[in-house]
Amino acid sequence: MRRQHRSRRAPTFPHGYRYRLDDQDEANQNYLADEEEEAEEEARVMGVPNLEEKEKEEEQNEEEEGQGQPTGNTWWQKLQLMNEYLWDPEQRMSLARTGQSWSLILVIYFFFYASLAAVITVCMYTLFLTISTYMPTFTERVKPPGVMIRPFAHSLNFNFNVSEPDTWQHYVISLNGFLQGYNDSLQEEMNVDCPPGQYFIQDGNEDEDKKACQFKRSFLKNCSGLEDPTFGYSTGQPCILLKMNRIVGFRPELGDPVKVSCKVQRGDENDIRSINYYPESASFDLRYYPYYGKLTHVNYTSPLVAMHFTDVVKNQVVPVQCQLKGKGIINDVINDHFVGRVIFTLNIET
Amino acid sequence: FQKTPEIYSVELSGTKDVKKTDKGDGKQKYRGLKNKCSNFRKNDQIEEIKEELDLDDHKLSSEELEKRYGTNIITGLSSARAAELLADGPNALHPPKETQRLSMMVAQLCTFYGIDLVLGSGSLLSYVLLIDSSPITQVYLGAVLALVVILTGIFAYYQEAKSTNIMASFSKMIPQQALVIRDAEKKTIPSEQLVVGDIVEIKGGDQIPADIRLLSSQGCKVDNSSLTGESEPQSRSCDFTHDNPLETKNIGFYSTTCLEGTATGMVINTGDRTIIGQIASLASGVGNEKTPIAIEIEHFVHIVAGVAVSIGIIFFIIAVSMKYPVLYSIIFLIGIIVANVPEGLLATVTVTLSLTAKRMAKKNCLVKNLEAVETLGSTSIICSDKTGTLTQNRMTVAHLWFDNQIFMADTSEDHSNQIFDQSSETWASLAKIITLCNRAEFKPGQESIPIMKKTVVGDASETALLKFSEVILGDVMEVRKRNRKVAEIPFNSTNKFQLSIHETDDPNDKRFLMVMKGAPERILEKCSTIMINGQEQPLDQSTAKAFHTAYMELGGLGERVLGFCHLYLPADEFPETYSFDIDTMNFPTSSLCFVGLLSMIDPPRSTVPDAVTKCRSAGIKVIMVTGDHPITAKAIARSVGIISANSETVEDIAKRLNIAVEQVNEWDAKAAVVTGMELKDMSQEQLDELLANHSEIVFARTSPQQKLIIVEGCQRLGAVVAVTGDGVNDSPALKKADIGIAMGIAGSDAAKNAADMVLLDDNFASIVTGVEEGRLIFDNLKKTIAYTLTKNIAELCPFLIYIIVGLPLPIGTITILFIDLGTDIIPSIALAYEKAESDIMNRKPRHKKKDRLVNKPLALYSYLHVGLMQSLGAFVVYFTVYSQEGFRPSTLIGLRLEWEKHSVNDLEDSYGQEWTRYQRQYLEWTGYTAFFIAIMVQQIADLIIRKTRRNSIFQQGLFRNKVIWVGIASQIIIALILSYGLGSITALNFTMLRAQYWFVAVPYAILIWVYDEVRKFFIRLYPGGWWDKNMYY
Repeated sequence: MRRQHRSRRAPTFPHGYRYRLDDQDEANQNYLADEEEEAEEEARVMGVPNLEEKEKEEEQNEEEEGQGQPTGNTWWQKLQLMNEYLWDPEQRMSLARTGQSWSLILVIYFFFYASLAAVITVCMYTLFLTISTYMPTFTERVKPPGVMIRPFAHSLNFNFNVSEPDTWQHYVISLNGFLQGYNDSLQEEMNVDCPPGQYFIQDGNEDEDKKACQFKRSFLKNCSGLEDPTFGYSTGQPCILLKMNRIVGFRPELGDPVKVSCKVQRGDENDIRSINYYPESASFDLRYYPYYGKLTHVNYTSPLVAMHFTDVVKNQVVPVQCQLKGKGIINDVINDHFVGRVIFTLNIET
Repeated sequence: FQKTPEIYSVELSGTKDVKKTDKGDGKQKYRGLKNKCSNFRKNDQIEEIKEELDLDDHKLSSEELEKRYGTNIITGLSSARAAELLADGPNALHPPKETQRLSMMVAQLCTFYGIDLVLGSGSLLSYVLLIDSSPITQVYLGAVLALVVILTGIFAYYQEAKSTNIMASFSKMIPQQALVIRDAEKKTIPSEQLVVGDIVEIKGGDQIPADIRLLSSQGCKVDNSSLTGESEPQSRSCDFTHDNPLETKNIGFYSTTCLEGTATGMVINTGDRTIIGQIASLASGVGNEKTPIAIEIEHFVHIVAGVAVSIGIIFFIIAVSMKYPVLYSIIFLIGIIVANVPEGLLATVTVTLSLTAKRMAKKNCLVKNLEAVETLGSTSIICSDKTGTLTQNRMTVAHLWFDNQIFMADTSEDHSNQIFDQSSETWASLAKIITLCNRAEFKPGQESIPIMKKTVVGDASETALLKFSEVILGDVMEVRKRNRKVAEIPFNSTNKFQLSIHETDDPNDKRFLMVMKGAPERILEKCSTIMINGQEQPLDQSTAKAFHTAYMELGGLGERVLGFCHLYLPADEFPETYSFDIDTMNFPTSSLCFVGLLSMIDPPRSTVPDAVTKCRSAGIKVIMVTGDHPITAKAIARSVGIISANSETVEDIAKRLNIAVEQVNEWDAKAAVVTGMELKDMSQEQLDELLANHSEIVFARTSPQQKLIIVEGCQRLGAVVAVTGDGVNDSPALKKADIGIAMGIAGSDAAKNAADMVLLDDNFASIVTGVEEGRLIFDNLKKTIAYTLTKNIAELCPFLIYIIVGLPLPIGTITILFIDLGTDIIPSIALAYEKAESDIMNRKPRHKKKDRLVNKPLALYSYLHVGLMQSLGAFVVYFTVYSQEGFRPSTLIGLRLEWEKHSVNDLEDSYGQEWTRYQRQYLEWTGYTAFFIAIMVQQIADLIIRKTRRNSIFQQGLFRNKVIWVGIASQIIIALILSYGLGSITALNFTMLRAQYWFVAVPYAILIWVYDEVRKFFIRLYPGGWWDKNMYY
């Protein structure tokens, strides 16, 4: 600034030289007045850093340098430095902080995180205020319904030898276990017998307990395990139960219940010559819908359709696809093999 | 009246001073070079150089030479023999092979990525081999990672190569031709084909094509400035004059220029074996120091790696103690380390640096090496040349003395306003002498060019006088035509004056006018009168004293002073027909009339004082290193502020206190002027002390080799040193410096090759602009890294929670890559456009060891404060999505195993609904998308808070940096495209997200902003306090 000032004024003085000398001195003195301190400060930094700084610097220096020289000696030094960094007995510092500093920082972090925790608690709380406990907010991801079969033991390949009970015994146990909840006595005790062919709609408050319709084990006839405790496995005519995934509020089309139909997925259609469905309609009755969620619809029992493969080609892998059919049912999603359909293989050896 | 040694009176072309020093330090001039040799690791090079210095060709007679090189002085080599010898290699400097490699910094980051890749593929392998049942996804992921690593690597390389390519144009040399005698015939061949033993002829204006031993010479003078830094022409003859081959007159060096005369010589060394070649190769032998930014990046990599490994190990232990199989735990460990790698950073840093490089190129700083962009910013000492860098590199009339008064002339670049009093009669006479007693002429055909830019035939002083008079008087040629020259004695070093006799332009005045200029004391001797106010007055004691005072004053300013006198020859003695004979001098050369003095200097560039002041306030020490005379150097140093007006050197103090120099306490003086002679007698410790204790230092009369010593001294003090240079000999110093700056106009190719930066306009002020840019980029890189690191936590936390709490994975690897290399790239580059928060040129250069790019507060604040808040915000969104779809947090805990089983297709949620695996997968992707959007939204807040580190956003201005908004827009657009455009592509794991989920994280974004404003508020409120120390990064 000063300098510009001078050069702007200079032209008005014809005898510039003398003027310049004087003015320059003055100007420089002025602008240097504040610079001097800075220069001195700089000199201190460059030349003799004050003691405190120096010590720290050394520590850092050696820390840095140590990496460049992989000799044993420096490793030892590094170790010592590290040790000193962890606990410096002279200044009573750990990790370059004194106890006081540590407690201060811990307190601050404690409060910071405590308030963050409070914020998140409030947020989650308000979130749950807006979400009903009884009805999910959205169900578009879980629709259309998926399908699952029983017995199920990690695999959808049914391989067994009729003459070797060991190979199919676990299916029987699994089915028996699964059907415990469908025992007629239990169903009659817990659930109501509601009229078939229509929705079992229960109006009333969300939080009221809902009644469930009976689905008795005996509906499954030959596949109920009541007459044939081996569910047909001992005769090479296995029963497989099909269950549609529960979805809150899902209602099949009125008058057009969801039907199940199975066929050979790939290969000769005649590999399966006959299938018996129980209940005979091969469908899920409308009275089991809608589902009100597990909190209020406690005793809800999923309806089942049993497939009795009475005549299947033996000693050969038969891929079977069972599909749901009905309005609002999708059974051809490429990526999802369990939506509206299920594919499994039968390999019955004799 | 005693002429004190203070006065630096340079006679026209006088070389007395120069010669003296030449002889004085002869060998020592290269001492530095030799000493330095021992420091270089390449031992063979040392040997070679030593051998070279033992060169004895200059001692041999022509016959012995003929024998040694198997040649004939008259007929030259035979073509066949020449071709044979050429097999040893062409006569050209081997280009340094530095350009074709990744720079340290890029290599550093690439290694990091390499680890990433190795670990990634390692985890991939174990996944494929042992655990996962759907290897396709993993292979796909591995391929993506590999692609990312390779692409960013290529990208960074491309960025670097692009900036290096700018340089390629510089190194293109015009092919030189040499006149050589072969097969007894004179031939012109490209000088690359010269071989040892060739007889070459050179003439004025030629570049010497190789190291040659002169066999005959007619008035040959060479300019050795590129080799020794001496600007005075050196005469060359065929006599052996000095033991040292570098000092003897009968050797001409490759790449030096023959100024005048002709000579014949025998080639004794070619290409890289020449002295210049060796110095150039010495430059490549000087260890390529890690640039500060490379060190910082390394430090940063260490920090991130440290964090990654320690978190990884902690969670490995946790996983093991949670009874996870060890193999799983190892995969978690690897996953955590990989998740910590900021994939986008390499691209961001290189782009940021090259953006700045471009910006600097616009301001005349061409950056060769990307990393050098930042180096300039951390510079704490600049060792600057004088000539051309600080000065305009042309002699200019600075002061006039007539009528017993000193007048100041305008020395600015365009001489626009000459404001001294031109009404005096004396001035009219003086002007006439200046105009007439001058042999310089403008080259024809330059009518449209401004006077100051016209090319002139003539030496520097005469050029200055010609331009000066042309500006003031108008057409000089016309005046000269009107005053026809009848006789002339050109300047020579014995009489030290120049004289010419003219007819006058007044037709009535038949007298001849004799005009003379020369060394002032010589001129004064010849005078008996002095012109005062147009009147001739006898030259008495008092006027002589006035003359001496003026002479001393001007000489003390480091200016080259000339005296002017004239005499009207009486018409009766010298009639019109009189024939002047300059050999017999049949005219009077005494009792002349003294008219005035005129002093010239190579004036400082007008922008330099400002730039030096800026450097000062920026805490950068400016050291002048020049080959020039100490007085001139000091004067220029004073006028540009390198030595401030009120600081004194030891000599000044001695003079002021009137005591001997030895008695002065050396440390009282802030400034120091050290000559090369003194420097060579100094021990290393003394030099260190000198550099540390004087804030204003001028090194004068130094050889380019000593520059290297000075640079090393500064580096020993821990300073980051910038060095400017132009000659070949500067190249080791340029290489050694943390940042070598070559002159774009005056610089030699070797210097440009060795330098990291080229100043296109040779102007010191451009360096200061560069410093400013460099500092800004350091600050902005800090912001960029802080911005980039923050989301690392938000990307890492999900994985940790996934391991410990067993939630379905909140965010997938592909999605993370889309943040790192998608939404975050443009915003982090946008931070490079951020303006400085305060005047960055008002603070000290950063301390190499203390002011790190990534320091503890930065890492802590990014990771543990903002990063954690981001994760929380993102988790809220995640839980919102899952809860609303049916999975409440209580259900989610520990659900991971069941959730991921492909065979479970009726997994029950909180409402009793049953989900197939794919439905869950889809929900998981929705979760990824939601988490991604949440991070993106909060990164917008992060971007805004990173605009400043201390100031409030409102002080900085939300809208000043438009690119930030481009960045924010890009984030949102990319996210929209990913979610809604590509949501149907399953491989990308994005789904169409309900619109309301985009806003769930907004309160957290606001919270981050508010929190950061509070942080900055306390920093501003208590500067230097606890909060400042722990929270300011």
